[in-house]
Amino acid sequence: MTSNLAAITGIGSVSPYGTLAGLIPRCALEPEPITAWPTSGLRRAFLVKPFRPASVVPGLKTRRLDRLSAWAMVASSLAIQDAGIDLSQEDRSRVAVVFGTGLGCAELTEAFFHSAAAHGWSGTDPSPFPEGLANAPASHVALWHEVRGPNVTVGCKGFAGESALIQAASLLRHGQADLAIVLAGDTLTRAVYEWYEAAGLLSPACYNSEPVTDGIGFVPSEGVAALVLEPAGRREVRAYAHFGSGRWSTDGEAVETIRQMLGGAVPSITICAGDGAPCATSDTSALAGETSGTSAIVPAQAVAAGLTDASALLHLILALGSQLPSGKALLLGTSGENGFAALLLELP
Amino acid sequence: MTDSRKTIVVTGIGVVSPYGIGVDCLQAGMLSGKCRLAHTKDLYPGFVGSTAHVRGLPPLQNDGPQYSRSDRLAMVAARDAVGRLDCENTALRGSGVFMASTVAGLSEIDPEIAENPSAWYQRGGLARAASYPAACVADAVGECLGVRGPRCAISAACASSAMAIALAANMLLDGATPMMLAGGSDALCPFTLSGFNSLQALDPDPCRPFDQNRKGLNLGEGAAVLVLETLERAEARNANVLAVLRGWAMTNDAFHSTAPQTQGNGLADCMRLAMEMARVRGDDIGYVNAHGTGTPLNDVAETNAYDTVFRERKRPIPVSSTKSYFGHCLGAAGALEAIIAIIAVRCGALLPTLRLTDPIESPSVDWLRGKVVCQEVPLAMSVSAGFGGSNAALIFEHGQFGSGR
Repeated sequence: MTSNLAAITGIGSVSPYGTLAGLIPRCALEPEPITAWPTSGLRRAFLVKPFRPASVVPGLKTRRLDRLSAWAMVASSLAIQDAGIDLSQEDRSRVAVVFGTGLGCAELTEAFFHSAAAHGWSGTDPSPFPEGLANAPASHVALWHEVRGPNVTVGCKGFAGESALIQAASLLRHGQADLAIVLAGDTLTRAVYEWYEAAGLLSPACYNSEPVTDGIGFVPSEGVAALVLEPAGRREVRAYAHFGSGRWSTDGEAVETIRQMLGGAVPSITICAGDGAPCATSDTSALAGETSGTSAIVPAQAVAAGLTDASALLHLILALGSQLPSGKALLLGTSGENGFAALLLELP
Repeated sequence: MTDSRKTIVVTGIGVVSPYGIGVDCLQAGMLSGKCRLAHTKDLYPGFVGSTAHVRGLPPLQNDGPQYSRSDRLAMVAARDAVGRLDCENTALRGSGVFMASTVAGLSEIDPEIAENPSAWYQRGGLARAASYPAACVADAVGECLGVRGPRCAISAACASSAMAIALAANMLLDGATPMMLAGGSDALCPFTLSGFNSLQALDPDPCRPFDQNRKGLNLGEGAAVLVLETLERAEARNANVLAVLRGWAMTNDAFHSTAPQTQGNGLADCMRLAMEMARVRGDDIGYVNAHGTGTPLNDVAETNAYDTVFRERKRPIPVSSTKSYFGHCLGAAGALEAIIAIIAVRCGALLPTLRLTDPIESPSVDWLRGKVVCQEVPLAMSVSAGFGGSNAALIFEHGQFGSGR
């Protein structure tokens, strides 16, 4: 019998928490002052500390690449290493790469605009153009690991990470891949940060040294998280968790969606708020009420990591490291007024 | 025996192309042999080339700076796709939207953003820049039709919308949504024209895919949306089944950022996998709508892939590139060409490649050129490839189910 469960067997991340294989140790995180571009006064964000990719993954060449591509190559390498996978022993044509991103390679896209501003559209620099495409990071992951399976990049407002995980599991379920490297991430650039600022979306903590508080604006973040996903039972190895199913939609109806995911029943579940705020929504509160006595609302440690459209995988890694009780767990996310996502996991 | 729960069918098609709005316009225009590529000079100072534009886009309700031209093209195509669908609103409301775009809102952003973003936002750029994420195209379609299920952008360069269709089919197999709207949309804009020009990939004249004297590609614009659902669901609502999506596959060359693998191995694997899923052999495919950009490297790699996959056929495989009619529509190309493959199986009309006078030599390929060939085509394949080594293949069969209202 084929199980619909997919095992998460490897984790890698390049994030404000550092460049890590495996779970992220619990630690407090504060936004850092931005120094990469001129700002009018203090501006803060959760930033990835600069590092040399080749010092983490020997032989990696990332010159002329967007940071998002470089981070994806590093995070995927760490996840594969963590999973104990020797790709030379795998059928590389059966290894998929699924990458979720909200904004893609914003850095090199801006570089191309910069080139157009300086030299006119007829004199642009060719190198940033193909490297600025949203699928460049997934392509470089495939190139670096020489994997030739489906190579997909997805973008969803608020749910790029969830979507990547759901679609990677779907590729495994339908026999279109034996192994999937799932990634999600974004970089923070000047144009992106100043857009958030002009739109009035930033937290007061971006402008002063106060601690981050919930509810008023947000602190932008950056980084890439990577998971190795494979059919449950394919190898006799440790699994951090098993991914069962997932849903996301633009118009919540969260309770009904979760009921469907759970086959009509509402068993004992743990609800983990993916990005801090979502548990305040009426739908998820209602679900918590229905499962009271057996469910627990886990405060989002992930709030400290900030938000991007692609942060779900990082939040998932943080949740897995927070000693949740074994059994079924839901990782929830919200976006906009009614956007809703749920990932159903089984924890060891 | 057909398992109707696992058979994916096409029940709606929407098109915005340089021929106009609707599949009838596209079909009539292409069958007449009219090329929509024209010499253009005004897209940015210094640009000289051949492009194909969409003219006369109708006004939209709630239009505003929040929508990019790619959004608008997509919304018109999506409306066209569901216009004759005749299904319950509740089914459509719970459906998903997977839309590909490589340009999305880049067409709305000025180079000054790079110098001083805040200043550009204050000058009116804030709303325009909000349309930058590729996800905006799927959101625009969803908002326009009241579709509230999962929305997603698919990015795989020029293979994007073929992959959107493949991934949407996976979602239906998962039972995640009742129906899926899948396709792609891309507007012509200085960003992409300048990018391809800087790579010296553009032919200043109308392109000549698969010709020995080809010089590069031309860019076009457009949008295409397919409505997909399971056969079980289509039969239950007595829907008009336009085609069956028999097989699909996605692979990557893992070879180079921009160049295809010379022998076309990744593309050949992709076609083989799609045929395996469809449980068909090379002899069963009646027509291939090629990626056929007209660039020196792509067309050789693609021809090599056909020689690998179809060398066992009794007769050479009929192949054409319809990019010779209205250029390369990038993120929309895969979906537009999927629709042209559907036209082939429904009407038995095989469109020739325009301006193909001296084709690349191939023992396995029957290059369609000159005039339209009319013959029964049980199965047609649409092939797409893109920067980053992306490959996708889709196989369509004439819909033999439903009442065909």
